[in-house]
Amino acid sequence: MTFLAPAFLFAAALVAGGVVAIHFIVTREPRTVPLPTARFAPLQPVRTRSRRLRLQDLLLLLLRVLAILAVGTGLARPVIDPPRREVARILLVDRSHALADPAEAADSVRALYAEGDAVVLFDSTATVLRAAVPDSLAALARSAAQPRLSVALIAALRTASEMRERADSIELAIISPFTAEAVDLATDSIRALWPGGVRLVRVTARADSAAPAVVAFVGEPDDPLRVALAGAHGAGDSASSNVRVVRGTPNAADSAWAADGARVLVHWPATHGTPDSAAAPAVPAPWTARAAPDTVGALTAGGVAVVAPFERWAAYDEAAGDGAARVVARWLDGEPAAVEVAHGAGCIRTVTVDVPSRGDLVLQPRFARLAAALTRTCAGAATAAPLDSARLAALAGETGSTAVAAGALPQPEVIRSTLAPWLFGAALAFALAALLLQRRTAGRTVPLEMGRGE
Amino acid sequence: MEFLTDGALLDAVRGLHWPARRVARGAYHGGHRSRRVGSSPEFMQYCEYRPGDEASKIDWKLFGRTGRVNVRQTHDDSEMRTSIVVDASASMAFPQPSMDKWRLAVSVAVGLAAVTQNDRDPVGLVVAGGAGVEVLPPRARASTTANMLRVLSGVTPAGSRPLAPVLPMLRTSWRIALITDFLGDADALLDQASELVAAGREVFAVHIVAREELEPRELGTLVVDPEDEGIRRPLDEAGLAQYRNAFARWREELAASLRAAGVVYQLAVTGEPPDQVVRRVVTPAATAAATPSQP
Repeated sequence: MTFLAPAFLFAAALVAGGVVAIHFIVTREPRTVPLPTARFAPLQPVRTRSRRLRLQDLLLLLLRVLAILAVGTGLARPVIDPPRREVARILLVDRSHALADPAEAADSVRALYAEGDAVVLFDSTATVLRAAVPDSLAALARSAAQPRLSVALIAALRTASEMRERADSIELAIISPFTAEAVDLATDSIRALWPGGVRLVRVTARADSAAPAVVAFVGEPDDPLRVALAGAHGAGDSASSNVRVVRGTPNAADSAWAADGARVLVHWPATHGTPDSAAAPAVPAPWTARAAPDTVGALTAGGVAVVAPFERWAAYDEAAGDGAARVVARWLDGEPAAVEVAHGAGCIRTVTVDVPSRGDLVLQPRFARLAAALTRTCAGAATAAPLDSARLAALAGETGSTAVAAGALPQPEVIRSTLAPWLFGAALAFALAALLLQRRTAGRTVPLEMGRGE
Repeated sequence: MEFLTDGALLDAVRGLHWPARRVARGAYHGGHRSRRVGSSPEFMQYCEYRPGDEASKIDWKLFGRTGRVNVRQTHDDSEMRTSIVVDASASMAFPQPSMDKWRLAVSVAVGLAAVTQNDRDPVGLVVAGGAGVEVLPPRARASTTANMLRVLSGVTPAGSRPLAPVLPMLRTSWRIALITDFLGDADALLDQASELVAAGREVFAVHIVAREELEPRELGTLVVDPEDEGIRRPLDEAGLAQYRNAFARWREELAASLRAAGVVYQLAVTGEPPDQVVRRVVTPAATAAATPSQP
């Protein structure tokens, strides 16, 4: 057992010792009652201490000492040391849409897993499996979310802090297809927090994951979006494209094209009407044209954020929208800027981001990344290519042993003492029992053996 | 104090009389036989006629039988001025909060005053306590008992004022009743009472004792004299027997000393009906018990 604040334990011991000393040293004058004939009571000499110790007194002393020690021990925050192992593993398991076969990932985990290891399932969020790991692995399923290695690494760091008292060294392993979309701008910084190497176990990625978006643009030749998309995806071929960007109003052929395969029809109106204008709204319900367009200032989509005075001309009613609709881009204040709805084997994506025709925003890489995020393949399909070897090497870190000494890992932010609440409860019980015993004793006649002579 | 207005006590002592133990010396005509030769029809003695005697007092029938000229002398009747002295020291306010000793003392005082008024004798009151000494001079008015009630109801026993200095103020009274627990200045009180008896006064002592004093209940405590905080002694089972013996011995010695001095002594224990205490004080049997010891 370890005490996180042992000073309190020593302080409690001192206080308890003081209470015991006071109990045995100090004599208490008995209760005084008036009696006019007190002079006829026999004289008895004053003695320093001749009060007889009774069982109730000792029990009272015991209860008081126990209450003090329980409080002190509780404040000292005892933690029961778990059995320590040589090596413990933290297994980060990718369950995102990039994963081809969850069973393959589960088998990889089983090959590494031992009792006491931590398993973290991640996609865009991370879940630490604390019990019934084999059952959870058997039921492992692929999610529709994107993989996020940053999230997984943060969960690994937290789990490692909690495990540092249970093992001499800790090994981190990542079981993932390692697609490019799993890495974001923060991944390298978070990876640097892990003080050692990482074992990488690659599993098969989904076949469509490797298929990059090939964009066909339907619009004016001088449309600035065409320039941005060319910067994001390169020159598109309408015959082999799997993403069609329509700047006007899509027709039935466009919809049938999207539904026929795993294709994306991106409806990105170049112009838009107003509620009081004669022209029909450029976007379908539940999109509505704003009476007074504003400039919200920033936009985020697929992990890309662009700060620019975009004109926001449409509003989306999420409550009235299709329950299956998925927001793929949001304005700075949280309102949807682009929504995707499944359509047959593909999907239709509506984007209400106004592309500025002035300035050089569309020429900047950040806008190209935004355009790429808004013209990616449908949700559930990974668009990123496999992580390149350089990034993989950076992720794996130093070669050789991947075990990290537990002492090199950061202390957990909060260490909970599960015993402390029980100790405080016990202290309260002891104090109440002492109080009851004291009252009971006070109401009883106490035989005297001492007195004060005159 | 509601117990002072209880009429049951006055009803109980109605019809009682408090006769004088010896011939009275009162200045005014009253219900008790006086030492003076007076005009009552009760014959006292014959005296040889001397010039100056009233001719109407000559017993002519005796002259006809014996030839000697004698005058017939008869007793005179006199009043009996009575003062009731009540101890209002702190020890009388025991036990708390009932103050049984003080309640009994007040009831006995009122009862004795009522009996005195039955005999149409003047009765006065002296209350000595922490607030000072309150005096009601002896009066024979019907309102005297009511006045005594009023005075006693305004007194709360406190302090440790001695009673002995009060007694010399009562030389105009021929009968003095002391109602006290004698826990203050018993020796000085005995000396003063002896002087009063020697001066021809009738002195009655009603010794008020609480049941809780005879048999203390709070054992295992430190008992403290309310009139002297310096007296603090432990009292437990082991010391209880010694306490009882010492207290009983003191009471016996006190009673013997007072009786030897000619004082009529009566012990009154709380819980006892006050009219019974009054009856014991005023009945001649109580008087007779003290008479053989008179100087």
